Amino acid sequence: MKSSRRNFLQHSLLGTAGLGLGIASTSEVRAQSLPGGLEPEVTDNVDVLVVGGGTAGHVAAIQAGRAGASVLLVERGSQLGGVMTTGGVAYPGLFDAWGKQVIAGIGWEIVKESVELDGGTLPDFAKVPQRHYMNQVFTNQFLYAILAEEKCAKAGVEIAYHEFPQAVTKTDTGWQVDCIGFGTKRRVNCKQIIDCTGGAEVCGLLGLARLREDERQPGSYLYMLGEAHEPGRNQIHRLYVHGADSTNSRTVTHANLTGRKSILAEVRNKGKRLMHLQPETGFRETYRIEGEALITVNDYRSGKKFEDAICYAFYPVDLHTKNGVKPEPLKPGVIPTVPLRSLIPKGSRNIIVAGRCVSSDRLANSGLRVQASCMGMGQAAGAAAFLAARAGTTPLEVPLKEIYDLLREHGAIIPGDV
Amino acid sequence: MSNRSKPQLGTLRRRIVSLLTALTFLVLSVTGILAFVLPFDIDMIGLHALMGFVFVGLIGLHVFNNSRPLKSYLHSKALWVTLAVTAFLTALFWWQPAPVRTVLSWSGNLGPTMERFEMDEDGMLFDYAPSPDYRMRLNVITGASYDTSPPPQVAIWLENQGGYHIKTLLAPVSSVETPYYAFKHAGWEKAKREAEKGVEIDAVSQPTPNGSFDPADYILPGDSKDSTPYALFLEINQPGDKQASLVYSLEIDNSLPRSFQLLDLRGFPKREEDGADGKEKWGLYYVDESFTTALELIDSALLTIDRGK
Repeated sequence: MKSSRRNFLQHSLLGTAGLGLGIASTSEVRAQSLPGGLEPEVTDNVDVLVVGGGTAGHVAAIQAGRAGASVLLVERGSQLGGVMTTGGVAYPGLFDAWGKQVIAGIGWEIVKESVELDGGTLPDFAKVPQRHYMNQVFTNQFLYAILAEEKCAKAGVEIAYHEFPQAVTKTDTGWQVDCIGFGTKRRVNCKQIIDCTGGAEVCGLLGLARLREDERQPGSYLYMLGEAHEPGRNQIHRLYVHGADSTNSRTVTHANLTGRKSILAEVRNKGKRLMHLQPETGFRETYRIEGEALITVNDYRSGKKFEDAICYAFYPVDLHTKNGVKPEPLKPGVIPTVPLRSLIPKGSRNIIVAGRCVSSDRLANSGLRVQASCMGMGQAAGAAAFLAARAGTTPLEVPLKEIYDLLREHGAIIPGDV
Repeated sequence: MSNRSKPQLGTLRRRIVSLLTALTFLVLSVTGILAFVLPFDIDMIGLHALMGFVFVGLIGLHVFNNSRPLKSYLHSKALWVTLAVTAFLTALFWWQPAPVRTVLSWSGNLGPTMERFEMDEDGMLFDYAPSPDYRMRLNVITGASYDTSPPPQVAIWLENQGGYHIKTLLAPVSSVETPYYAFKHAGWEKAKREAEKGVEIDAVSQPTPNGSFDPADYILPGDSKDSTPYALFLEINQPGDKQASLVYSLEIDNSLPRSFQLLDLRGFPKREEDGADGKEKWGLYYVDESFTTALELIDSALLTIDRGK
């Protein structure tokens, strides 16, 4: 069995050697090869592969794992939580809207547990926040990352840090995904892929249509100057990294170098001690998928309840520019929803996305991209992928009722429930 | 018996006119000072205005009674001096340069020409015009449970982005019925006192528009680049309805000017645990099903801003 798989791979590599690392430019789903003729050292056969362990990804993996799927989570970094932990924006929000909780489930479970374990305080959702960010939840980023790992382990989710897919091949039963980390070559055979890379990088590898602006919102590099960082108690200092782009290792490196250089200049200018520095820039915007449905800013601002809405989202329209940000709060009573179709790349099967790459226009995305909403999308994607894998179908063909029932069983709030 | 005659004190008509003029002058003086210093009060303004009409009539009679000496004054050099002074003062008070504006700003209500509040069974109308090029009108249409006997207590004020009260536009007769306004106003008074003492106050003592005590920094910034959004708040409570007051608000941003904006219901005030420093704290909470008629006090509250050019 192993020998025949190796032979098949060798033949495949020979046949596609000319393609190299190029990304297919059409929307056709094509086979890609492991670069350099490398053979996999590790092979995994799983129901669901989650790519990206950020705000949406780890929640998606835990949901699929708890439901009973075998799950592998591949993460390019060294911890779970993404922008909440690696980026340091450890005040996720918003879980509430107009006096009631609208996003709960697995993400909220980890946030709540980490706050309680840390002796922190949860916001009173009955209270009207003076500004929208006052109901963000101050979370200990270090604790959150470890708790997320513990939840993954309990859900049977295998974690593969420092790896990222290099090639994705369509198979009769789903996908063959070749991942590379330092010193590791891994082949994953899976039925479903959940792309939680932020910029829909797996969709990019497959040549699925993605949306991107000429100019991106700035990223934020977080640090603490002159005073001690108290995780879970306060916001820390931050500066904009203009043009920050998480598309690939080169653009991420560039953003990080730019951010750290600016922080070094701050240290020299202010003559204060650098007390804390996040390992990476927090990115706001790269690619969004072109999905089966697109959430427009009018849908978002009017709180349109899509017929296949799978979670709520709540945050002002919050587009950051070179000159800063001027959030536009939603009107009282308005709670936007996210349809399942906005998580499905147009014309695809057996792949679903979750997180800030949700199919949406730029202004809608500026509100949809925040952590609580990404957690809600992640859990919904995890449920849909599990049910699709179990039924041998694609997420879009899973009856909505089954998705709703599974999500409610795991504490999520479906639009219309509250 | 003495043959000396009594001193000439004028005719009865002259005496009555002079005494009435002096007495109405006394009432006008007192009500004028109070109307200038105190927040807008329709009773005080009404008394002052109507007594002013009586005074004008009496002055007319007084001028008539003294027409003979007055005619002689017209031929004196004093005429030109008085005409010049009158013309100068008229021009000065009409165009209102910055120093005159400053004097007007000492008024508790910026003067009746800048603010006007009317309330009847159909609604409330509040006009505020701190500048000829900036006129604000708040038109509140009453709802089904609005009752004028006794009338609801209403407070209208401005807050900066830090949540600090920066100006009262309309003070309630009794702030017991509008506790959120009372809390905000007290916080502002305290912050001002501490700032005057030189104590550093978060977000208030900073030399930024958002830390200013001067409402003009928010409403009429010298430069649109310095424009800082601020919020208009309205708190209303119907005495005796056994429900808490309700607070409505909207944000005004002169850098993104909008002519019409509807106030949104924010919530109801509730006293929270005092802070660690012992300070009284109030927060706004979302309304729940315990609110019934209070929700129908106001049908809508529309703010219109005319920014001139």
